[in-house]
Amino acid sequence: MRKKTTELIYEAKILIRMSVLALLVLVEFAARSQQMAISGVVKESGNSLSGVSIYEKGTPNGTATDSDGKFNLVVSSPSSILVFSFIGYKTQELNVSNRSVLEVTMEEDATSLSEVVVTALGVQKETKSLGYAVQKVEGKAMTKAREPNIINSLTGRVAGLEIRNQTDLFQNPGIRLRGAAPLIVIDGVPSVDADIWKINADDIESYNVLKGATASALYGSIGRNGVIMITTKRGSDQKTTVEVNSSTMFQPSFIRIPTVQTTYGNGNNGQYAYVDGSGSGLEGGGWVWGPKLDQLDPSTPSGYWETTQFNSPIDPTTGKLIPIPFLSRGKDNVKNFFRTGAISTNNISVSGGSSNSNFRVSVSNSYQKGIVPNSQLNNTSFSVSGGYKLAKGLKTDASLTYNRQYTDNFPDVGYGPPNYLYNLILWTGPDIDVRDLKDYWVKGQEGVQQRHYNKSWYNNPYFQAYESLHGYYKDNIFGQLKLDYTILPGLDLTVRTGINEYGLNQSWKEPKSYVGYNNVSKGNFSLSNTSQLNLNTDFLARYSKALSKNFTIRVSAGGANRWQTYRSQSLSTDGLVIPQLYTVSNSQNPVRGSNTLQEEKVNSLYGTLDVEFLGGLFLGVTGRKDWVSTLPVKNNSFFYPSVSVAGVISDFVNLSSYRISFLKLRGSWSRVSDGRVGSYSYSQVQAYNTGVNWNNNPSLSFPSTLLNQDIRPETSDTYEVGTDIRFLDGKLGLDVALYQIRDFDNITSVPISSSSGYNSRLENGGAFLRKGLEITLTGTPIKTEVFSWNITANWSRYNRFLQSVYDGSNKLGYIKTGTRTDQIYGFAYQHTPGGQLLLNSNGFPIDDPYTRKLGYSNANFIFGLHNTFSYKNLTLNISFDGRVGGLMYSATNQKMWWGGTHPGTVNQYRDDANRGLATYVARGVTVVEGAVQYDEEGNILSDTRVYAPNTTPVNYISWNINTSNAFLNHYYDQTFVKLREITLSCNLPKQWLAKSFISKASVSLVGRNLAVWTKMPNVDPDPGADNLQTPSTRNMGFNVNFIF
Amino acid sequence: MKKIKMVALISLLLWVSSCKDFNELQTDPNRATKTHPGMLLTNIEVSAFNAISLNSALASRMMVYTDGASNEQYYGWQRSGFGGYGTLRQVAKMEEEANRLSLENYKTLALFFKSFLIIDITKVFGDVPYSESLKATSGTYAPVYDRQEDIYIKVLEGLKTANNNLDPSKGTITGDIIYNGDVTKWKKLINSLSLRILISLSSKPGNTKLNVISRFSEIVSNPGQYPIFTSNADNAALKFYDLTGNRYPYFNSNGLKTAYYLEQSFVNLLKDRKDPRLFAFANRRPQGSGLPDTDFNAYDGLDGSAPLADNTIRLLNGEASPIDSRYYNNPVNEASVALGYAEVEFTLAEAAARGWISDNPENHYKKGVLASMDFYGISVSNQSQYLLESKVAYDPANGIEMIITQKYINYFMNGGWESFYNNLRTGFPIFKVNGGGVLNNQQVPKRWMYPQDELQYNSENVRDAIQRQYPDGDGINGVMWLLKTE
Repeated sequence: MRKKTTELIYEAKILIRMSVLALLVLVEFAARSQQMAISGVVKESGNSLSGVSIYEKGTPNGTATDSDGKFNLVVSSPSSILVFSFIGYKTQELNVSNRSVLEVTMEEDATSLSEVVVTALGVQKETKSLGYAVQKVEGKAMTKAREPNIINSLTGRVAGLEIRNQTDLFQNPGIRLRGAAPLIVIDGVPSVDADIWKINADDIESYNVLKGATASALYGSIGRNGVIMITTKRGSDQKTTVEVNSSTMFQPSFIRIPTVQTTYGNGNNGQYAYVDGSGSGLEGGGWVWGPKLDQLDPSTPSGYWETTQFNSPIDPTTGKLIPIPFLSRGKDNVKNFFRTGAISTNNISVSGGSSNSNFRVSVSNSYQKGIVPNSQLNNTSFSVSGGYKLAKGLKTDASLTYNRQYTDNFPDVGYGPPNYLYNLILWTGPDIDVRDLKDYWVKGQEGVQQRHYNKSWYNNPYFQAYESLHGYYKDNIFGQLKLDYTILPGLDLTVRTGINEYGLNQSWKEPKSYVGYNNVSKGNFSLSNTSQLNLNTDFLARYSKALSKNFTIRVSAGGANRWQTYRSQSLSTDGLVIPQLYTVSNSQNPVRGSNTLQEEKVNSLYGTLDVEFLGGLFLGVTGRKDWVSTLPVKNNSFFYPSVSVAGVISDFVNLSSYRISFLKLRGSWSRVSDGRVGSYSYSQVQAYNTGVNWNNNPSLSFPSTLLNQDIRPETSDTYEVGTDIRFLDGKLGLDVALYQIRDFDNITSVPISSSSGYNSRLENGGAFLRKGLEITLTGTPIKTEVFSWNITANWSRYNRFLQSVYDGSNKLGYIKTGTRTDQIYGFAYQHTPGGQLLLNSNGFPIDDPYTRKLGYSNANFIFGLHNTFSYKNLTLNISFDGRVGGLMYSATNQKMWWGGTHPGTVNQYRDDANRGLATYVARGVTVVEGAVQYDEEGNILSDTRVYAPNTTPVNYISWNINTSNAFLNHYYDQTFVKLREITLSCNLPKQWLAKSFISKASVSLVGRNLAVWTKMPNVDPDPGADNLQTPSTRNMGFNVNFIF
Repeated sequence: MKKIKMVALISLLLWVSSCKDFNELQTDPNRATKTHPGMLLTNIEVSAFNAISLNSALASRMMVYTDGASNEQYYGWQRSGFGGYGTLRQVAKMEEEANRLSLENYKTLALFFKSFLIIDITKVFGDVPYSESLKATSGTYAPVYDRQEDIYIKVLEGLKTANNNLDPSKGTITGDIIYNGDVTKWKKLINSLSLRILISLSSKPGNTKLNVISRFSEIVSNPGQYPIFTSNADNAALKFYDLTGNRYPYFNSNGLKTAYYLEQSFVNLLKDRKDPRLFAFANRRPQGSGLPDTDFNAYDGLDGSAPLADNTIRLLNGEASPIDSRYYNNPVNEASVALGYAEVEFTLAEAAARGWISDNPENHYKKGVLASMDFYGISVSNQSQYLLESKVAYDPANGIEMIITQKYINYFMNGGWESFYNNLRTGFPIFKVNGGGVLNNQQVPKRWMYPQDELQYNSENVRDAIQRQYPDGDGINGVMWLLKTE
């Protein structure tokens, strides 16, 4: 080994000398008499291959293929031997044999197990050469079992990428890469609008997730938190093919749905009688703490206890409501109201090309039928892409996608009367059969008054579904136009303009009598139009030179300009004159409106240097300087450097005795700054906000954060080391990344005493450490001629710590230095130091006057596990993923205890309370003597309290109405494992298709979100939050795919 | 050459770049950085003069909450907030813009609002930051706490200055949705506020720094220089409009409709006096729905001190009168009176009864009652009949109690927390605490604890303030300077 190292150093010295000489020597070669000009093209399975090193054997004379895979080289003799090498491919030697035009096909080198990934600015590089973590996911993995957006499909597939899938229709999932939201880049063009719905999965060739800031440093501040690079498909210069891909999936059942009690009905304190739907008095204020259902009563005509109800008949003589039996008629309200949802996705694409051009056109439509009646989402895309060789060495590539997302109605989410679950499960007692509400207008008051059992607090869900409509119509256009020009062999110039543009029109139709919080609507109509234009123009000059077989350098320099314009206008009525006429001119009072214009830009210059040494040592250096409009001009520019190294140890040291076939070590450092105060383009400008408009007198108000004109950009330093090890000839692979990101000079809203006039001031300062570990394991446990089993597992953990505080103190808010920033602090009831609930003299718990730490919100780790089994023409994919640890608040559970629908409330105490008896004695203690003293943080300074067990009974209904069951704080462990996907595909045998025009066909059974294992009650922990989430559906269906 | 042309052409097309420079992009096209102080006045008035508080009605035994155990109703509250300083920030900006434009009258209004708002804050806690407050722009992020006594002196002096400085010749006042720029009315408000503050110091006649009695009589005896309210038209009243954001705060409130009911002792107090204002405050209880609106027997309330379950059972029995439906059905309902003429008459009556001024308390007492009844549109014949009721006709032996009781009724759903503070000061009317549901050892609390944010961000100063005021720590039963007799 030592000998080898000395050899290396020796060789390196030689190489450096040689490279210095190279240019001089080149000139000499050109003058030689036997020299011969050769041109050619290098291909790989039909596609041209760029960046292949070519040199004349025994000389330093060499070049590299351009972006078309073409090369030109003058060789010293007609019998010279050319060496073609490219990482990941077998090195070939070829005798020129007097030929002036060569076509070379490179073969993949199975043993090097290399792959090409797309890195920052769209530059393709080999994984092997990277000093940072990039994980690639093939687009085709996601086109069978469909999700309504492409990001959901990435769940569990990439170590360090956490996707929190929403259960609600058309709501963005949470995307966190190493704890922060990454940039999305489509074909090299940053898409800062981050619309994940506009990209059709059928058009995606691959996803490359650039995990750390080093990987994405060339994107500047917008790439500070990593990048999801999306590369779209291109036609190839093979024969024209037509592909049809069609998936249909249904949502026939739920993996998670709240279970409610069916023993007690609407009302309060065990009493209920419908009077007029106002909710007050005997109607019990909207609670579900009413009488027991299905109680026998021989004195009534029905034999059951009877009371007046919203659907009681009216006595024609007295005009009064007639009592009817109080029965558990609404046991199946959820099933009866929700319908089977579906997602149907269809795509046709045509692609092809010639030696000079390629094209692809694609049209897709996705229709999602929501489980709420009258809700849906349509998503249609047309895309075209193509490339053309304009002249020798000059190539253009362009793509353009038009996407339209449109729905006449999709449900509102969040806790409150606009939420279906609120009206259907939480606040509708099981005495109501939801089907009795289908007729949703009060007779004679159609268009004016909804019919419901409680018209003050709740909405009739059918009224909501068919009358309260949120329309959404968004047109997206995105694409790019790129020009590649090979100026000289090895010197390429790329100029590119990318565009991301959208126009979004939304409307809200709010019928008269629609219930919001403390609002019974007079009918309203609101319109909002927003549009955004994002232009990214960049150029990049690249020079690549194989100075010898063992020494290649690539340098590049470029610049970019990003310009963004955002406009918004909104109009709202203040009451409608004519019911159900949804126009702004139908407003009772003056129409209200608002508008904004935001413009911002970033100018950038950057450069890179990549050095490849001995085919296995790599050094990458990047630098970028940005000028931004979102900071005061004096501090608006900053520089981002990065350095990365990678070494393929196994190229230099024989590790086969350890059964290691490949070993790479990598390390990197980068510094990236971010220069904005808030998401608003002018957040750095201290100015007035619009204040109240009182009787048509406008006013202004001054915001509560004191800005700072000396504010500087905030900066992140990322350190990362990693390794890529393959064992057993690649049958087992392990990739590990360990990183630490130090966020410092943070632009912080520092809380100050509000008596100073402001609640916070803006400062640079403090530091956070983000630390994480990511492990990806790939393996092929079984591989035979007919059967194979591939497995990919990933595991990651991430935490953020407070390292220092802007003012040198030891805490920021409640968080102390050195501790995690995801600590949850919140309201608590007082407990004894021993953890017992402390009860007041009245038997109820006591509010803690100090905010208390309740736990952590981040998962301890997240993981994904993908299995692919192949047997002859059959392929079975099974994927699991999940999160372990971390708390999340569940509004659903809290409100169920509070409102009376939780099954846990069905007990003797509740029966007692219904009879007016206070019998519930909470487990806990009361203070009989002594006192406690706290410091400012609520830590106990002295405690002389003496306790006795609580003996005071309370009314069980009061207990829950006041405390939502004080033994639970409604933060729950969100640990879960999900069976994310199963797809069973059958590729139809070739002999079946031989006589048809179909060249390839497959049929698949697909399912997603199939099962969840968790201790979290009633809701799906996957979204990471529960603010009364839609029940989580199981999606199952089939996919067919044909290629002609 | 052809190739080069092509490259040049396409490169040119591709180079779509912005033309605005970075300096231009430092101007926010959507927001103003400077303004006329009148634009701030409107906003300040809307927040300062919104004096409608259901929590105050619960703490003052006027209303009962039935959807949970209210900490206000059961006296189990803990901390309050420093939100009032947010309005003071707007006042400071108004002053800054007034200085920039040399608009003297706005500077004076700023002084008035500072005085008005700081009193509201100090009454909650005791000592609070004042002299060093609102100075974040000059680097004071954690202001010291002023002694309550110093705040009161500063405020009384400030109001005097404000009265003297306000002058129609010093420019018009725009953006004024309360008095429409009427300087005389502003002066009346300034002096009426002085009277409110002075009477709130009734336990401190012996304090020589304050000299409450001489200050009081200085104002009352010199109406030319110190005009005060003389009719309801002078009220500091925020009117509501049927426009988005301008409606009565509890318009459409489901909570008010279904979970707030009249308190029994309050209903009884009105019934005992045959007070027709009851019909303006409440609706009939379900059990009394067969009786006429004007039958006192149709009304009853719940016991604010009884456990929640007892009250909800009585509620479901139909025993409780809800608040009059206009409070949630009428978007305009009635104005929010931050300080009204009736209160000023009661203040004068009390001062006369205490011998601070040589005047007949009964006259002012009657004027106060009639002004309050006018506000509710009670007919003149009912008004005169009411004054004859045995518990209403002025009895000098119980003068203070009668005056404060009438003042208390006048504060129903108005006047902020004045009904509660007057009780803390005088003990009238007695708030019931013995129904079994009251926390805090069945005591009415005397204050609120300081905000936890202060413990975090201004800890030294708040600690000093607690130590010098409250030997038992920052508790709700601590007695602040204001409530100590001297």
